[in-house]
Amino acid sequence: MRISTNSVYDSVKANITRVSDQMLRANLIVSTGKRINKLSDDPVGMVSVLDLRSDIKNLEQLERNITMGRTWLKTGEAALTQVEDILSQVKSLAIQMASENVGSSERSAAAETVDGLLRQVLALANSKVGDRYIFGGTNTDTTPFSFDDEDTPPEVTYAGNASAFSIKIGNDLEVAVGKDGEQIFGDDDFDWSNASAGEDNIFKTLLDLKGYLESDSTAGIQGALTKLDNHLSTVNAAISDIGTRIIRLDVKENIIADLKLSYTDRMSRIEDADIAEAIMDLQSRQVAYQAALASSSKILKVSLVDYL
Amino acid sequence: MSGIGLLLSTARDALLAQQTALDVVGHNIANVNTEGYTRQIPVLSARDPAPYAGVVLGRGVDVDEVVRNVDNLIEERLMQRRSDLKAMEEEEAYMAALEALLNESSSGSLSSHLTDFWNAWHDLANNPSGLAERSALYERGALVCQALNDLSGDFDQLEKQINLALDAGVDQINELTAEIAGLNEQIAGLGVFSTPNDLYDKRQALVTRLSQYLDLQYYEDADGSLTVTTGRGYVLVSRDDSYDLSFDGTDVRWESSGTADLDITDTITGGKLGGWLEMRDVILPSYERDLNELAENMIWEVNQTHSLGAGVEKFTSVTGAYSISDSGEELGTVDSGLAFYDKITDGSFKLWLYDDTGAVSASTTLTIDADAGGTTASSLASAINAIDVTHLTASVSNGKFTITASGGYSFAFSGDDSNVLAALGINVFFTGDDAESADMNSALESNKNLIAAARVGTSGQIATGDNTNALAMADLQYEEISMTHYIYTRGSSTPTSSAVTETISSYLYSLESSVGIRSQSITRSREYNEVIAEELSETRNNISAVSIDEELANLIKFQHAYSAAAKLVSTADEMFQTLLETR
Repeated sequence: MRISTNSVYDSVKANITRVSDQMLRANLIVSTGKRINKLSDDPVGMVSVLDLRSDIKNLEQLERNITMGRTWLKTGEAALTQVEDILSQVKSLAIQMASENVGSSERSAAAETVDGLLRQVLALANSKVGDRYIFGGTNTDTTPFSFDDEDTPPEVTYAGNASAFSIKIGNDLEVAVGKDGEQIFGDDDFDWSNASAGEDNIFKTLLDLKGYLESDSTAGIQGALTKLDNHLSTVNAAISDIGTRIIRLDVKENIIADLKLSYTDRMSRIEDADIAEAIMDLQSRQVAYQAALASSSKILKVSLVDYL
Repeated sequence: MSGIGLLLSTARDALLAQQTALDVVGHNIANVNTEGYTRQIPVLSARDPAPYAGVVLGRGVDVDEVVRNVDNLIEERLMQRRSDLKAMEEEEAYMAALEALLNESSSGSLSSHLTDFWNAWHDLANNPSGLAERSALYERGALVCQALNDLSGDFDQLEKQINLALDAGVDQINELTAEIAGLNEQIAGLGVFSTPNDLYDKRQALVTRLSQYLDLQYYEDADGSLTVTTGRGYVLVSRDDSYDLSFDGTDVRWESSGTADLDITDTITGGKLGGWLEMRDVILPSYERDLNELAENMIWEVNQTHSLGAGVEKFTSVTGAYSISDSGEELGTVDSGLAFYDKITDGSFKLWLYDDTGAVSASTTLTIDADAGGTTASSLASAINAIDVTHLTASVSNGKFTITASGGYSFAFSGDDSNVLAALGINVFFTGDDAESADMNSALESNKNLIAAARVGTSGQIATGDNTNALAMADLQYEEISMTHYIYTRGSSTPTSSAVTETISSYLYSLESSVGIRSQSITRSREYNEVIAEELSETRNNISAVSIDEELANLIKFQHAYSAAAKLVSTADEMFQTLLETR
């Protein structure tokens, strides 16, 4: 077959270009460590990667949500556990004071103690995470419980609302981490706007108990004991409810951690280059390139001119 | 003719013929690197014999002609393949630019901005009254808008570049066709019996260059001139006339000999012009339309959810983000001029009016009738005006629906199931209705407390820690929305559409994967065509291009023949000498 001079040059040029292009591509894979460096390298794989990447970001956000939710729940748990302790303390004090053998001076000292404990419960009921009150429903920026002892009778008022603050832990999955304070510290149907109307809440019970102690009314103290028992069981229930929610967050967090791991793994499988393989590939391309250069330089040198 | 005379004349002719052949070899060697040059071959033949002294004697050699060693079929196939290859190369170059725009392997991409945006709603839900979270969310939203604006601008920029290239390309085509017409004139002027090989080569080279710009057909006339037409048969060169193309900014027009200009844009499929037009009229508009569809749906979904909520602060004044062209037309019809008029349905929303102490002063349910004869902007304004004449005013001014409270009064909205608030642009997060116009609601920039994380409660109260609306917003990222993918085709301004139901992110991913797949397939066909073109080119070179080795062999062959012919002359001379010396 007849080979023109230009054919030789053209084919040398084309081959070297092709081999060096392949070598550069292999080099890109080695240096970025990624098999997919642009959309067209593997459109289907790239889309999976994008999807996984945003899923992972979403999971990380949910993890942050859960961490925050756990802070709320733990703070609530700690506060309510203390409330429980105080109520038990008040209860044993009340049992003591209900005895006919106790003198009025001791009772009035006990009344002072109850007053102090009342203020502790109040402080606990106004617990905060950061700047946000956790027992005010969604009115997180206003102090939920305020005590005005100038009032006659002195009373504690509630400024929160009945909806609980929730966080998102998944698609269409929310967990209430705040508490409707009314539910814990007062009866469900307690009318905060009219505290003297007779319904019941922890503060009213404590205030009443203080009054009975001051007035030496053993019958009143007995009555307050029953109410204290009711409150204790409400607080207990609230603590165990919070415990359940913390477990729920823990379970969800474990699921998210597992998912994140498997997503990251899948993403790496699709996107990342097998470095050993990539380096081998680069080396074989290099060899091919060197071979092409060596053989081309030999062919290009030969001409009939040299022999005439 | 006698013996020695014949010998001398034969030698003379041989000298001349070998010299001519050497000239041709020299010409070939000189043009070894000339693009489009066709190797020339001297055709030598024995002269007609003449009878002499009873025998018929040969009378030497003659150069009949010098021919081009060319295979026209291969030339034409190569030209067409190269024309297609150019189209693909151009498409590939622009697709690479488009891929770079979407820049998906980096963190500055639209999809990562979108994810960050949804996450910012989670953060706001975790701390609904936090100003830091509100500012961060605002910035995330602004980045999404910016990414959409940038992409839209980049699409426009690409289109502008293509139009500039088209303009320059058309000028090139006109120069080439004029040159071809000039060569036609020269070739035809030399007459049918001459063979101006180098002019043919030059003309073929011009046609090849022309074919890089658009798809061509050509044929040679009897007088040797070449008629060149576009792929669809619009004549570009006929004899010594060339017909110019022109570019009016959008269309390529053909200036025919007689009648008015003809728009031939959609008939050009090959060459650089074909590639550019495919890119400009099919690929870019399809993706741009999809991007706008994405922007429109994202803006609408976010706005619609936002309009259901309430911020930490109530409104004292609000101006709609979307323009109304005629306040007397029904809001739910195209005549109202609202960008999202078609989203308005029959329904109602509640307007809460608060007095200067923040207590609820009025709550009114406003009913929207989306059908003909239903609610207009004016009738809605009068219904709002009727609530509290002294403290609440609604009007349409400068085409925007405006509600203003006075005397320390404020207002909020809840439970809009008619979509009218979002369509008017009241209490919305974004403004705009496509990728280019997407922007943040300017009211939020000055007051981030208007970002609606909460919802108005049943008795009009708005709790600062209420995150109901922020949670609903965070859920939008999982929501599947019915959207449409568009594909444009050449020669039609209406795209074919296919409906899909997927999340906003998935829609973006499928758009991006489609760019990747197209880019990949264009690259593959480019590579395939390149191999074929290379092979054809090699075949063509092997037939028509110069081989130095071969020419050198010929050089020696003709040189030896020349020396031998010279020897003939000296032999004839010696013979004469011998005769003359005879006494």
